[in-house]
Amino acid sequence: MNPDGGAASKRRLPAASMASPHQLFDDTSAGALGRGYAAQQPPAAGSFLAEPVSSFAVAYGTTLASQGKEIVDRNIDRFIPVTKLKYYFAVDTVYVGRKLGLLLFPFMHQDWQVRYQQDTPVAPRFDINAPDLYIPVMAFITYILVAGLALGTQNRFSPDILGLQASSALAWLIVEVLATLLSLYLVTVNTDLTTIDLVAFSGYKYVGMIVGIVSGLLFGKTGYYLLLSWCCLSIFVFMIRTLRLKILSEAAAEGVLVRGAKNQLRMYLTMAIAALQPLFMYWLTFHLVR
Amino acid sequence: MGSPVSNRAGSRGDFLVNFRAPWNWTGKSRKNNSRQLVMSNFEQSESDFYQSNYATDIQDQGYSDSGAHKNLYGSQKCQGQELPQPDAFVPLEMLSSSQSYIGQILQPTYNPEFLSHSSYADSFDEEPPLLEELGINFDHIWQKTLTVLNPIKPADGSIMNETDLTGPMVFCLALGATLLLAGKVHFGYVYGISAVGCLGIHALLNLMSIAGVSYGCVASVLGYCLLPMVVLSSCAVFFSLQGILGTSLALIIIGWCSLSASKIFISALAMEGQQLLVAYPCALLYGLFALLTVF
Repeated sequence: MNPDGGAASKRRLPAASMASPHQLFDDTSAGALGRGYAAQQPPAAGSFLAEPVSSFAVAYGTTLASQGKEIVDRNIDRFIPVTKLKYYFAVDTVYVGRKLGLLLFPFMHQDWQVRYQQDTPVAPRFDINAPDLYIPVMAFITYILVAGLALGTQNRFSPDILGLQASSALAWLIVEVLATLLSLYLVTVNTDLTTIDLVAFSGYKYVGMIVGIVSGLLFGKTGYYLLLSWCCLSIFVFMIRTLRLKILSEAAAEGVLVRGAKNQLRMYLTMAIAALQPLFMYWLTFHLVR
Repeated sequence: MGSPVSNRAGSRGDFLVNFRAPWNWTGKSRKNNSRQLVMSNFEQSESDFYQSNYATDIQDQGYSDSGAHKNLYGSQKCQGQELPQPDAFVPLEMLSSSQSYIGQILQPTYNPEFLSHSSYADSFDEEPPLLEELGINFDHIWQKTLTVLNPIKPADGSIMNETDLTGPMVFCLALGATLLLAGKVHFGYVYGISAVGCLGIHALLNLMSIAGVSYGCVASVLGYCLLPMVVLSSCAVFFSLQGILGTSLALIIIGWCSLSASKIFISALAMEGQQLLVAYPCALLYGLFALLTVF
């Protein structure tokens, strides 16, 4: 192709000059002028790219696009800490299976402490006690779909109901996380619980809710109440055991009875947070099972 | 026709062209269609008098490098035949190059020297074939389709290096068409669900994998794995899917789609131990499509 290109450009220049004396008509098309320009450039794919204006436009467009991408990336990084989020999604199938089992049956698990590796907590992949965001996000989306399914079986379904369910569940989640943050602030607890951790812990109850709704669909109201109370109990125990290590002081966390108003207050706070979970679980599911 | 123009430098095959057919079969130079129409009319009337420049310079051109999918006329027609009859039909795309066409149209003089230096054919020579320009590679498309259709076979990680949206677009349209055959006009839903689903899976994969993934790659993979869903919706044309058989068929197809998609994602992004984790959101997405098909 290239040798032809060279020959073509050589042949083009004489062609442009020879065209004039032999023409019967005036060549008023843009092609003749363009050919003069095009002679200096190799024939690109598509004639319009041979025009210099077009090449400027392409370059400008590319810079615009890359600039736009940079702006989007910067702004997203400002609002959503992407690298921090990546930690919460570093999961694998074994972890998810074990964690789901733990959420539904936390009674036998002994060691609830998150392992650390030089001041940073280990990724969820390597420690079952570390919180993750994969399970809460997937459980939230599955909850919405199962709610739609449940409403559909009762002939109460319409697509906007899905949006209604989704926004109400999201709103309750935000309220709960804000309330927990406020109470943690008021009790002046020195803890390394971040907001994302709280979102993760609050999201774990959706797993129990899904189990409850599915059993309600399959086995009716008795099945719903049975399994929902089991899930409420297990999430209560799970939250208490997890939060105890984070909120209470070291001594109290290990089970040593430490008297003091501060520790008592923290214990009450932990129990209040844990007790919120079954409440929300019932509130968000009872209208779906008839 | 008049004497063939043969004394040109580098001419390897001469054609006397007389356009009869204003349509363009291979779509090779679709952009020149309107110009060709004008030229064909013009040429018809002036064929004997004006030997137009574009009449000849047709050597073997791009046909030698066009590949199988452009050879609709068979190569023998294009290899240096002379068509002396005035009403010989010659494929239009031999004659055109968008670049210099614009000029040629107004220069009907017979000019052998000009013809010998005419440049459009050279640029036409150097122009890559249309499908290559568009980035459509039928072989790769077929390979990717086969990978999807066989969810057990492990996938090659490099097939998703080029994000190709032709196959996915074809499958989306096929899904919409089969839904249409079943009486449901849901094109908007198909596009909306695919767009939102692609965004969600793109965000999730970027968070879960160490190497990021581009939006085009996600859209391409998800589109290719939509093929079994097209099978499901074509079944829906013949019998209603509500019922045990329909539900189990839908569940099998959902599993098939999500397994293929997760298999390709895993191999392309080198994520170990996360296939089921990737398959679950894909299953949710394809479940939405199945809902659309079944109900």
